[in-house]
Amino acid sequence: MTQTARADARVRFVPGQPDMWAFVLFETLVFTSYFVVYLLFRTQHHELYLRAQAGLDLQIGVFNTICLLSSSWAVARCVQASRHGAYRSALTNAFLTVFFGFVFLVSKVLEWARQIRMGNGFTANEFFQHYFFLTSIHCLHLLIGFVVMGVVVYQLLSPKRRSQELVETGATYWHTVDFLWVLIFSLLYVVR
Amino acid sequence: MSSRFIWHCRNNPKRELWFAWWATVVFYNFFTVSFFILSHTQPPANPALDAQGAAQWFEKNHYGILLGFAIMFLVTGMTAPQNALIAYSMRRMSITPAFGYSYLVLYSLSAVPGMLLLCIVLTVGALRPDRKPELQQWLFDLAFLSYVGTMGVFLIGSLVWMLAILIDKNRVFPKWFGYLNLCNALTEVVVSPAWIFHNGVFAWNGLIAWWIDMVVFGVYTGVFITLLRQMIIREDFGTGPLPDLPREAAS
Amino acid sequence: MRRTDGELILFWTLPATGLIWIAAFFLFPGFVHPMSPTMSAAAVAAFYRENTGRIRVSMILFNWFCVCLIPVLMLLVVQMRKMAHRTPIFSYCMVACAAGGPAIFLLANLFWLLAAFRPERAPELTQMYNDLAWVTFTIQVPYLIMQSVLLALAIYCDRQARPVFKPWVAHFNLLVAAALAPAAFTGLALGGPMAWDGLLPFWVKNITIAIWIVVMGVVIAQTIRRQRVESEVAA
Repeated sequence: MTQTARADARVRFVPGQPDMWAFVLFETLVFTSYFVVYLLFRTQHHELYLRAQAGLDLQIGVFNTICLLSSSWAVARCVQASRHGAYRSALTNAFLTVFFGFVFLVSKVLEWARQIRMGNGFTANEFFQHYFFLTSIHCLHLLIGFVVMGVVVYQLLSPKRRSQELVETGATYWHTVDFLWVLIFSLLYVVR
Repeated sequence: MSSRFIWHCRNNPKRELWFAWWATVVFYNFFTVSFFILSHTQPPANPALDAQGAAQWFEKNHYGILLGFAIMFLVTGMTAPQNALIAYSMRRMSITPAFGYSYLVLYSLSAVPGMLLLCIVLTVGALRPDRKPELQQWLFDLAFLSYVGTMGVFLIGSLVWMLAILIDKNRVFPKWFGYLNLCNALTEVVVSPAWIFHNGVFAWNGLIAWWIDMVVFGVYTGVFITLLRQMIIREDFGTGPLPDLPREAAS
Repeated sequence: MRRTDGELILFWTLPATGLIWIAAFFLFPGFVHPMSPTMSAAAVAAFYRENTGRIRVSMILFNWFCVCLIPVLMLLVVQMRKMAHRTPIFSYCMVACAAGGPAIFLLANLFWLLAAFRPERAPELTQMYNDLAWVTFTIQVPYLIMQSVLLALAIYCDRQARPVFKPWVAHFNLLVAAALAPAAFTGLALGGPMAWDGLLPFWVKNITIAIWIVVMGVVIAQTIRRQRVESEVAA
């Protein structure tokens, strides 16, 4: 069937659907524009941002980053396993991915609660506007990532459905979520 | 030239689809003139304006508002063919008709709170320049917040279209456009802080909540108008996968 | 086999709706001799204070029954599906339009009821609600115009031996659309023939809508009757 022939041809260029890569590019551009806005306003009110940033705990940021990097590693192993037909292992790794993502989510929610209790809410000052916005929109992408991993698991579960392309597409999306977090982490937690 | 046009109107089997497509294009032109050029409602006015400022904004844009929105009151019906065409595109897909009907209903109801309310309220605001400034500001807020802040319809509507495209086996739209619908849906989330802030990048006229969102929306709209055109050219009135664009029409 | 049960019931809601609307129209003290946009805030407040009962009853009636045109519009959609069209686009458009008119009218209705809710409030506030109600009511034409244009287009495109509607119905609908158009521009005038109590936005618009309801009602009735006869003959 032409559908699969074309799909095979595409696999040679990039892993997963090229369409997903287009989406990744677009989302990265949009996030970059958010980062540029953040940096712009940061240079204008340097003092304010520095002081506000002191309220953020770098250790939590590092822990979050480790979580997501681990999840990326898990999803990469999932793709590897699926390529070699080791579907049991692939499924385990997929669940591991979701697990690490979930740990990240819980940690983030706890961090938000802590910040709000300390008085640093969404409307507290400019820095925290950006902080809550960037971390929330990233978390939304993470939640979408859970749905994507759900699709991946669904694909892996049934021998009839297994589409390597879809598994790789899902992994691409998940890596993007991780990649965006690293950028957010650097901007919000590290750059002082 | 005009006789060819008339021949197409009479005999082209796709004339209904072309009617809907052209209605969409014409509507967006009217919309641009009315909102961006005449009434200066886009880019939006400043939410940080006080009551006096709001009253002055009405005065400055008095005729632009009244004329611009009169045009909208005339042509808003043209959103129906656009929604019908997109619903039709989902009927052409290999999925349940419920997707198309959902989209049709969602977007049909969206125009009243999401656009017409602003047009009506700003018209009322401009109607009596001697109204109390506090009342003018109340109308000002109601107009802009209802327009910018009617999010749910477009959020869910875009997700419906996205799902339809991703599940579709008839290749009516490329998958990347399905993902672009997700981007458009997310702009409705990004705009939500506009309900909280009076100034800054998250206000209804802010760099992030309006300008960047508008770029995404503009790209999205340009893309789907083009893809709808390609769909009509490719349409074979069958139920299987849609054929590719013929070579000559691809450019 | 065409399912037609209930068609006539839905159809007969049309004259019932018409009667209720006419009753409510005359009951509302602000329509027969429409209120002028040039009324001062004090005069508007006085109007709501003195006529609270009639305003509330008529507007509550309108609120209950303003959506009643929708089933009849759907009868039109069902007829459109019978036309010799290549795609269901026209009927989808019609469905999309049908929601718009009543939604806008409901808004106007809410504003009128709001204005009458606390007649003792500051006159400028009541005047603002009154403005909102009248402007919303008057400009509510975009979907009505589109419906008529669509119907006309659909009829022109319906090329078969026995078209569902005769061509004059199409011409009539185009005339209706043209007659409704000026009401969109009512914001531009506070007095004269273009104000919301003026000749074009009030009298022409509302009379046109009434005529459309009557004419299309008769057309639908005749069409349904003809189709029933034909299906009996065929059976």
